[in-house]
Amino acid sequence: MSRILGASIVLALAAAVGAPALAADLEAGRRKAEPCAACHGADGNATVSGTPSLAGQPVYFTHWQLIKFRDGRRKDPQMSPFAKDLTDTDMADLAAFYAAQRPLPRPAATDPARVAEGKRLATLHHCASCHRPDLSGQQQVPRLAGQDSEYLLRLLRAFKAKTASDLDGTMTIATQPLRDDDIQNLVQYLASLGAPPGK
Amino acid sequence: MRRTMTALGAVLTVVTLLAALAWAQQAAPPPWKQGQPPNMADSTLAPIPQPPAPKAASEIPVDKIKVPPGFKVELWVSGVNNARAMTWGDKGTLFVSSRVAGNVYAIVDKGGERQVKTIASGLNLPNGVAFRDGTLYIAEISKISKMPGIEDKLDSPPSMETVYDTLPKDLPHGWKYLAFGPDGKLYFNIGAPCNICIPPDTHANLSRVNPDGTGFEYVAHGVRNSVGFDWHPVTKQLYFATHARDWLGDNEPNDRFDVLTKKGQHFGFPYCHQGDILDPEYGKGHSCKEFVPPLLKTGPHVAGNGVEFYTGSMFPPEYKNRAFLAQRGSWNRSEKIGFRVMMVTLRPGAAPKYEVFAQGWLQGQEIWGRPVYTKQMKDGSLLIADDYAGAIYRVSYQR
Repeated sequence: MSRILGASIVLALAAAVGAPALAADLEAGRRKAEPCAACHGADGNATVSGTPSLAGQPVYFTHWQLIKFRDGRRKDPQMSPFAKDLTDTDMADLAAFYAAQRPLPRPAATDPARVAEGKRLATLHHCASCHRPDLSGQQQVPRLAGQDSEYLLRLLRAFKAKTASDLDGTMTIATQPLRDDDIQNLVQYLASLGAPPGK
Repeated sequence: MRRTMTALGAVLTVVTLLAALAWAQQAAPPPWKQGQPPNMADSTLAPIPQPPAPKAASEIPVDKIKVPPGFKVELWVSGVNNARAMTWGDKGTLFVSSRVAGNVYAIVDKGGERQVKTIASGLNLPNGVAFRDGTLYIAEISKISKMPGIEDKLDSPPSMETVYDTLPKDLPHGWKYLAFGPDGKLYFNIGAPCNICIPPDTHANLSRVNPDGTGFEYVAHGVRNSVGFDWHPVTKQLYFATHARDWLGDNEPNDRFDVLTKKGQHFGFPYCHQGDILDPEYGKGHSCKEFVPPLLKTGPHVAGNGVEFYTGSMFPPEYKNRAFLAQRGSWNRSEKIGFRVMMVTLRPGAAPKYEVFAQGWLQGQEIWGRPVYTKQMKDGSLLIADDYAGAIYRVSYQR
């Protein structure tokens, strides 16, 4: 009997260690997202140019990026200090909150010729393989449709320069053949898509 | 005449230029999709994403793991995000690597209570950990580093000292398994930077270096990506598991379990797969006879990772010197396969015996975990790391 009891205590202790993630809490996420609203918007639709919209982004995507900001693999003067002290639970709550928000397109002036060329490039470079045919993202892969143009420009240029943090190298490889003009065309196309429906 | 030649030359130049332009615009698909034939272009198969957080203990159905009669499985520790390879410190600390989580952990077992400490984070796919003479060695994509005296400083880990940092920087198959060989050298893999390609001479091999960073050399060639190996306790020969290429269909080619009998042997990649299938593109002009055949075909797409020979005395006597092979499981197959720990019994003069040891992480077509490496405990029980659930299980045996 005491042996069985002993074994359950061992298991209980083992379970208590390591602060495993609990089911994400949307309401807690909304509260924790308040400091983020100044740039990312109260509903995750960015209000400041150059800042990504987080509304409707896949849970895994936002959570992984927060992990990378926290451990320093992804660096940004604004984001790094915010992410530094987030717990695993904070990240899960924030990711769940933003995933549940409805994405709105960011305002962008687009040139039809550049949009058409961007669309051709998106096909040529297999963007849909990971980002899905409507570029709405999935799992750890972000939504691109309707994302902020300045942000996309900055990130694509950084991937090309091999200075952006990449989960598995895919984006660094994908951007190597792109000229800067290609990047601008791609971004115009992505901005022109609006936000995907039904998210 | 001269004029015609010039015109022809101009036309040729334009044609060459156009061809060069078209070539320059050939964009590579993402690495996981590379080598996919046109008739599979509509396939929905894609790698299984790694969850960003470990499962809570209450979400881990450990009772679903089935082992042979007399064996028992328990959840040893949970909350170890992306737990991968394991190595023991001299003083009983279990060091655990991760891959995309970028962390290295130290787990201290205090009479049943397990404490998980993150001793390094923000690393570049730090899959390899090895321990020798008080020092922990960590392998990232392009470098091997060390933490001397780490076991006495788990709460204030020292910064990492570089041992060797001139390895290729490619991320695809760039993460490393790391282990000390019987010769006291550090062994690791340099995987092919692709699904299928003619790799640079510097890739698709097993390599070794002295623990002080000198004496780098290649040990085996034609190895697509081996992230698990061990040395036979008696013969001291190197046995290793290799992941085979994708997109040749559900049932081909098999992953491999191999033995290195001579330094510098070539195991076939990218020309010949599983010892008897020439690659449809790169196999032309080659014969499988040029290369070392696998000791064992371990199944298509099973993703054989950890290899470990059993040397303990807790398990029944027939387990002595058997190899455990942890299979992380398939993505490039219509019906999932793997997600189990196999065992390989070597038999002189006969093919190895190949049986399931632990399974149950795959239920129907749903997975809840992925066994990736094993590590024997001092008492002869066996730990199994699950990088998907972020947990480590312990398998014990009672007579």
